[in-house]
Amino acid sequence: MVKTSETAVRFGSSRFVPLALRNLLSNKARLARSSAGIAFAVLLMLVQLGFERGFFDASLATVRQLDGDLFIFNASKYRVMNHDPFAHRYLNTAAGVAGVASATPLFGAWQDFFWKDPAGDQTYLVQAFGFDPDHPAFLLSDVKDDAGRLKQQDAVIVDRRARAFLHMDTDAKETEINGHAVHIAGRFTLGPDFMSDGTVMMSEQTFARLLPGNRDNAAALPVDIGIVKLRAGENPAQVRDALRAALPAELRIMDKAELVAFERSFQADLSSAGPIFLMGTVVGFVVGMLISYQIIYTDLSDQLPQYATLKGMGYNTGYLVRVVMEQAALSALAGYIPAWLLCLVVYRVIGTIALLPLHMTVGLTLLSLGLTIGMCLISAGLAIRRVIRADPAEVF
Amino acid sequence: MPFQIAWRILTYQKGRTALATGGIFIAILLIFVELGFFVAVPQGGMLIYDHMRFDLLVCSDKYLFQTSPGQFPRARLTTVARVADVAQASPVYLGPAMWQDAKGGVRLDSLVLGFDPHSRVFAVPDIESQVAVLERPDTVLVDSTTRSLFGPLTAGRLIDLNGHKVTIGGSYTLGTGFLGLGVSIADEANFFRIFRGRPAAETVNLGLVTLKPGADPAAVAKALRATLPADTQVFTRSELTTREVSYWTTRTATGLIFGSGLVVSFVVGIMVLYQTLATQITRQLPQFATLKAMGYTNRFLDAIVLVEAFLIMLIGFVPALVAALGVYALVRRQTLLPLDLSLPQLGMVFAITLVMAGASAFLSLGGLRRAAPADVF
Repeated sequence: MVKTSETAVRFGSSRFVPLALRNLLSNKARLARSSAGIAFAVLLMLVQLGFERGFFDASLATVRQLDGDLFIFNASKYRVMNHDPFAHRYLNTAAGVAGVASATPLFGAWQDFFWKDPAGDQTYLVQAFGFDPDHPAFLLSDVKDDAGRLKQQDAVIVDRRARAFLHMDTDAKETEINGHAVHIAGRFTLGPDFMSDGTVMMSEQTFARLLPGNRDNAAALPVDIGIVKLRAGENPAQVRDALRAALPAELRIMDKAELVAFERSFQADLSSAGPIFLMGTVVGFVVGMLISYQIIYTDLSDQLPQYATLKGMGYNTGYLVRVVMEQAALSALAGYIPAWLLCLVVYRVIGTIALLPLHMTVGLTLLSLGLTIGMCLISAGLAIRRVIRADPAEVF
Repeated sequence: MPFQIAWRILTYQKGRTALATGGIFIAILLIFVELGFFVAVPQGGMLIYDHMRFDLLVCSDKYLFQTSPGQFPRARLTTVARVADVAQASPVYLGPAMWQDAKGGVRLDSLVLGFDPHSRVFAVPDIESQVAVLERPDTVLVDSTTRSLFGPLTAGRLIDLNGHKVTIGGSYTLGTGFLGLGVSIADEANFFRIFRGRPAAETVNLGLVTLKPGADPAAVAKALRATLPADTQVFTRSELTTREVSYWTTRTATGLIFGSGLVVSFVVGIMVLYQTLATQITRQLPQFATLKAMGYTNRFLDAIVLVEAFLIMLIGFVPALVAALGVYALVRRQTLLPLDLSLPQLGMVFAITLVMAGASAFLSLGGLRRAAPADVF
């Protein structure tokens, strides 16, 4: 109910009455219930949107961490992180191109490296990378710092954010890969994705030694990704043209942004993550719309006499519409803020359990806030016809 | 009596009742859909085993899950076949193969399954009817749910698997599940031509054991465990199911995401149910107060509220179930996830909504007790 006389005095003004706010605050129990309803709908949207972003962030983490200006790989590759190597000698060609500071190999294995749980006997398939310790292939600062230690034979560094059952986050110093004893020389933080549970990195020599078939000569191993760094001040487009002229057509050259986009388009086309989480977000939106419609409709029905009175006093329909819309936007906010806070906790908990990168970002906040206000305004727009029709003479 | 009054209250303002039912409908639908996704993950994992004929599975002690099964020597299956009550022990081989069109283009990761077509390990009609095709040299059958990226799966198309030219002999419908983006099957001879250098005698991945009629799987499993060396392990079907389901739901990112999605949607769904019912009952306080003034007892009013809550819930439940089945069908087509609703799941959602309707009604009863006829007008 609108307690106009009391609150007008409290607000100390009889000219401007924040009617929408007072309507909202007039029944605290109802406010709590309606905010809770909207908040849970918002939470649902935030969680689904967070999952969608988390899926892509996890899938792209490894590619995003690659450290290079240009990347050379087989044109037959359908994604960045799979094994489809090219001959090592093309890197020598690339290194000779003007403007190239270095062209170093990244060896990858997704089906061949079995990590023995240092705390047990079971072995697990892991993602493995080999590179020249003088040219660490990844941006991760721990990888840069520990790369020197990888020069030691059979030294590896492991992902402390790998899935728990791999026990890569313990203090263990020794374990086995493919039955060979290896020394754990350091740890980095990357996180698992939807293909692999954990990652190990090592020098190219160690990589060649551990690979089944035991080829000791790293120089003979075909390369998964050639990482090119440019000399300072070189124009990437020019060097790229020069590389393209020097290398055969079976090889592709991409810069970092293109490489990430390439992997992203594979993930988007092949996985169902996009549509599944989009559907979850839509359900959250519809739930929120229904709840807020119900709230606004009930409020309007309860307050119809007041609205009719206002109309009788001479307030025009435009004013009443504005009050209802303001009230809708306010109840959107009242639901949004607790949902946003709760979501931080939910992200933290699910992120820790599922090892999924769930982060509240400015973009996510703005998007979800826009959706929340949108759903409340749409339902207010639907419910408002009742106020417009309110006839002062009929409601009493 | 309470039923009639509850019914009249609900039908008095049909618009509002429809609104409340809408809220409940969407909350139940949400729970159904998230539950469906959650259950689809282990079902996707079990898809291949659900379409194989076996009573016991023999595999390496390194077995983790279907695409990381480890290997064991074929001689173990000879040992198994000699154990009493064993009718047949057939090897199945799995191998990752790079798939490329014979004319070139992208090289895709695919999976090939090798087996003896006469062992009838697959309970898939399309496979059983194409045994003769599988026996043609350098011919494979392709799963019809192989992603479109792999190109047309038409019979006669020449493809390259691991650098070996093979012809697509036809397709079959099983579902790739979590085996990979593309799956094909080959008879043993063709399999080992694709995987040159892989020793057939040492690299069996799965040993499918069928028993003579009437044999007790658990007892035979025990006998096999006593006979076989430590490099192999034996699962009954139910042990395998337990293991795979727990793997897919607790150890994979997919399982963990849908698991947490399910928890969130449960909480949201339950809150929406409560919110809707409570609003519905609160706004009818004047009516209840009137009934009170007319002399109806509190118990009678409680009964009306309970009946009303259950009625709204039921009216929302049926269309939600229908809509959920529609969403499942849509998702099955779009994502190839084997989304299916079993009776226990259906019962579970129904039970949850019943409990929730009851709880919301009880929570609203407090307000009802306070409903004083003189106050509400």
